[in-house]
Amino acid sequence: MTPIEIDRRSLLVAGAAGAGTLTLGLGDPEPAEAATAGNRYFRHGVASGDPHPTSVILWTRLTPTPDATPGSGRGPRVAVRWQVARDRRFTDVVATGAFTTSARRDHTVKLEATGLRPRTTYYYRFLYRGLASPVGRTRTAPAATASPDHLRFGVVSCANLQAGYFAAYRHLARRDDLDAVIHLGDYFYEYAPGEYGAGNDNQDVRRHVPAHEIVTLADYRQRHAQYKRDHDLQALHATAPFIVTWDDHETTNDAYRAGAENHQPATEGDWFERKARARRAYDEWMPVRMGDTVDLGDGTALYRRLRFGTLAELSMLDLRTYRSKQAQILADGTVSDPERTITGHAQMRWLKQSLTQNRTQWKLVGNPVMISPVVFPPFPQDVTSAVNDVTGLLPEDGAPYNVDQWDGYTADRREVFRHLADHGVKDTVFLTGDIHSAWACDLPLDAGTYPTESGRSVATEFVCTSVTSNNLDDITGSPRRTTSLGVEAAIQTSNRHIKYLNFDDHGFSVLDVSSRRTQMDYYVVADRTDPRSPASWTASWATRANSQQVHPVDHPVGGR
Amino acid sequence: MTSLNRRSFLRVGALAGGTLAYTAAAGAPLAQAAVDGKRRVYVLVVDGCRPDEIGADLTPRLAALRNHGTNFPRAESLPVMETIPNHVMMMTGVRPDRSGVPANSVYDRDEKVVRDLDRPGDLRFPTVISRLNRQGFTTGTVLSKEYLYGIFGTRATYRWEPEPVLPITGHAPDAFTMDAAIGMVERFDPNLVFVNLGDCDRVGHSDLTGTTLQAARQAALADVDTQVGRFVDLLKSSGRWEHSVVLVLADHSMDWSRPDRLVSLAPRFEEDPMLAGRVQIAQNGGADLLYWTGAADRRTAAVARMREIALAADGVLSAHAPADLRLSGLAGDLVVFCRSGWRFSDPAQYSNPIPGNHGHPATRPIPFFIGGGHRLVKHRSSSTARARTVDVAPTVGRVFGLAEPRGGYDGHARL
Repeated sequence: MTPIEIDRRSLLVAGAAGAGTLTLGLGDPEPAEAATAGNRYFRHGVASGDPHPTSVILWTRLTPTPDATPGSGRGPRVAVRWQVARDRRFTDVVATGAFTTSARRDHTVKLEATGLRPRTTYYYRFLYRGLASPVGRTRTAPAATASPDHLRFGVVSCANLQAGYFAAYRHLARRDDLDAVIHLGDYFYEYAPGEYGAGNDNQDVRRHVPAHEIVTLADYRQRHAQYKRDHDLQALHATAPFIVTWDDHETTNDAYRAGAENHQPATEGDWFERKARARRAYDEWMPVRMGDTVDLGDGTALYRRLRFGTLAELSMLDLRTYRSKQAQILADGTVSDPERTITGHAQMRWLKQSLTQNRTQWKLVGNPVMISPVVFPPFPQDVTSAVNDVTGLLPEDGAPYNVDQWDGYTADRREVFRHLADHGVKDTVFLTGDIHSAWACDLPLDAGTYPTESGRSVATEFVCTSVTSNNLDDITGSPRRTTSLGVEAAIQTSNRHIKYLNFDDHGFSVLDVSSRRTQMDYYVVADRTDPRSPASWTASWATRANSQQVHPVDHPVGGR
Repeated sequence: MTSLNRRSFLRVGALAGGTLAYTAAAGAPLAQAAVDGKRRVYVLVVDGCRPDEIGADLTPRLAALRNHGTNFPRAESLPVMETIPNHVMMMTGVRPDRSGVPANSVYDRDEKVVRDLDRPGDLRFPTVISRLNRQGFTTGTVLSKEYLYGIFGTRATYRWEPEPVLPITGHAPDAFTMDAAIGMVERFDPNLVFVNLGDCDRVGHSDLTGTTLQAARQAALADVDTQVGRFVDLLKSSGRWEHSVVLVLADHSMDWSRPDRLVSLAPRFEEDPMLAGRVQIAQNGGADLLYWTGAADRRTAAVARMREIALAADGVLSAHAPADLRLSGLAGDLVVFCRSGWRFSDPAQYSNPIPGNHGHPATRPIPFFIGGGHRLVKHRSSSTARARTVDVAPTVGRVFGLAEPRGGYDGHARL
C-alpha cells in the first residue's frame, strides 16, 4: 500500500497515458548491481534470517550453469555445501552440511543451521565446485532465559527499485551492531517499468525485470532475483539476519484475502493461483520460516514469534492473507463492521495470546500497516456509539484517511487495544512500515478522549519510512519540508496522539531495546536517486518502560 | 534496657508535635538493640500506585529512588489484586492457596457472612516477620489500614496502630503513617520495617475525576512522594542508608470506571431458577468471588451456570476456577473479573459507588524497585525479571540469610 492512495493512482494513470516515462540511468552499467565475478555461482548473494537461540536460516541462490537463470526452469540438480564458523576466515567451523537444489525450487538454497550457541555472531558461506560464496555474518538470538542488556535492530520497509537506489540499505549494512534487520514489507514491487517510479512524473530510476507486471511464477522469481542482485541489499543481507513479513506488493497492490486492487481476473487469471505463485516464490527466495519451517510447500503461514531472552518478543504479523476487502467509501460505517477483519480470526487469537503470555518485558509487533488512528476528527467512542444507534453510518473512531491500514478495520483494532487494557499489558510497541513516512505515536484506547484516563495510551507505535518509495514531497513535487509541513500539522492537530511525523524523507531506522526503554532512531538519505547518497540522523523517539507513551530523544544510539 | 509488656503502649514524641503510640512484643527492647547490627530492610508499599504514575515531575523522590536502584518494569500484583492478599503474599512469600488469604472480602461459610479477612487467625502461613523474630531479629509494622493492622496483628516486634483513622476510608493519612515509620526507626530501629501508605489508594478509590483529570489522585501521589522522601532523608542523615535495602512497591494498581459501567451479577443469578437464593457474592472491586450455597451434588452444574451467566454480562472479562489462580477454597467456586473501565457492584447497583477499583487483571501492573545503599543493591539497573508481590519475603530473607519456610517460597529473591 502507498500513502495518499488516490493521488498515487492518479499518477499511475497519468504515467501510462503520457508520452512515456523518463527513465534515469538506463545507460548506466547497473552501478548498484553486485559484481561477483569470483563467485559466478552465487550471483544473488547470501542471507540469513529468523534467528533462534541455537539456529538460524541460511539462504543463497545457486546458478550452476549459465542457462539456469531465475525463473527459467533450467539447470541441473546439484548439491551445495555450507559452512558456519566463528570467524570470518573459517578456521573455526562449527557446523557444516550439504543441500541439494534444482530448478524445481529455482535453485534456491534454504536451510536451518542448528546446534549453535545463543547470542553469538557467526559467519557462513556456501561452496560449489571449489568456489565459495560471499561470506555472510549472522547472529543467533539470546537464550530464552537470558536477560540481554539491549537488542538492536535495523527497521526498513518499502523498497521500490524503480524509484531509486537502496542507499538506505547500504548505510544500515555499515553498522556492526545489529542483532537483526526487521523488514516490514514491500520488499519489492510488482509493477512494470513506467508504472510506479520516482516522483510526480513517475520516472524510473531503474527498470524492473521482467519488463511487465509480475503475474506468473517465473515472473515472481525473476523479480526476486533482480532485487537480490542489488549490491546494497546484498550487503545488508550479508550483515545481519533478516526478520521479514510481507505487505501487499510482494503479491500485488492492496491485496486482501480474495483479491487485490491491482489484480484483474479477466486478464491476469485466478487470484488465488496468483497469490499461491507469489507465496511460492517468496518461500524460495526469502530467508524466512513459512509454515514454521524452512521447507517449501509445507504451508504459507507467515505470522510467527521470535523471542529474544526475557527482554523482547517479536510477533510478526501477516495483514494481507486473511483480511476482508478494503472499504470503498472512507467515511461510512463499513470500516467499523465487526464482521470485517484485517488479521483473520486465528491470527487475532494468536496475537492476543502473544500479548498476554507475558514471556518478555517488551512485546514488539512487526506490523505491516499502521495501527494508530489517523482520523478527522477522532470521535469519542460514546459519541459514535450514540449516533450509530440511530444511523449506523459513522466510522467508530472518526473518518479515516486510509482504509488500507487498521483505520479500515476498527473492530479488530478495538479488540487489540481493549485486550491490552483489560489485561494490564504493558510495553507493547508496534513497528510499522507501508506508509512511506516516519511516525511516532501513542496508541489511544479512545482517540476522541485521549489523553484522559478513558482514552489513555495502551501501547506505542514507531513507523519507519520507505527506502525509496514515493512519499508526500515526491508526489507534490515540492521541496522537502515545505508543503508537507502543513499536512503534518493538520494531522497532528486532529490526532493528538501522533507525536512525530515526517512525510518527506526516505531512509531507515534503528531500534534499540533495553529494559529501561525502546528507542527508534530515524535516518534519512539525501537523495534516493543518487546511488552514493549520504545518510544522516534526523530524529529519535523512545518509549520508557511502563509509560505507553513516546517522547523525543536528542541523540541516536551509537554503534558498538 | 526496659522491656515492655505485650500490649503495653509506648508513647514517644511525634515529629508533628503530638505523640505516637506503638505496641511491642513481650520482652522487646525499648531502645535500639537489634541483635544483627546494621542490616536493615524497609518495605514501603505505596498502596494502589500504578507504575506509570511514577515520574520525575509528579513523584521526583520515588523516581530518583527507582532510577538509582534496580527497577522491575514487569512487576505484577497477583490474584486477587487486592490489598490484604498481596500484603500477605509480600510477608509470607507464598500464594493464597498456602497462606489462606485469597482476597479482601470472602464469604465465610462457617459464619455464613461476607467479611473481610482482617483477623490474625486468617493468615495461616508463617510470615517473614515472625521467622525473623525467631532468629533474633527485630521487626516493625506501620500499616495505615485498619484491616491490615488487623490481619498482621501482633506478629511484629513493634507495631503502630493506625491513628488517626479517617471515617469511611478506614485508614490513617500518609503524613501520620510516615511520622510513625520515622518514629519507629528512630526509636526502635528494627531490622525490618513494613510500611503501608494508603492515601494513593484511598484517594484513588474516591476520585470522581478518575476517568478524566484525576485531580485528587495526583495530589495524593505528590504527597506520598514527599513522605517517601522524608524517609529516605532520615536514612541518609542518620547513616543508615549504606546498610539499608529499601524496597518500594504497590500491592495492586488502580482502574477507574464511570457510574454507567457497572456489573451486577446478583440480580442475574436471582432470575435463574437453579441459582436463585443459592449464590453468595464477595465483591472485591474488579473481582467477584462466587459461592454456591446449594446442595453439594449440584455444585458442578451450578458453577457452570454461574459461569455462563457471568460471561454473558457486559463488562465481564473472564471467569476462573479459584485453583487455577492459586487461590484457597475460601475464594469460593468461581472468580469473575471485570474489564478495564468497569466495576462490580453486588449485590445491588448501588452497592459499589466508588469509581476507582482494583482486583481485576487491568490492575495487575505495579511499581517494584529496590534502592538503598546496601551492597546487595544493584544500582542504576533495570531488570527484565517478572517480579511479583510474592517476591518480597524471599528478598527480605536473602538480606538476613533466612532459611526458606517449609515447602519453600512461591516467589524469588530479587537481589
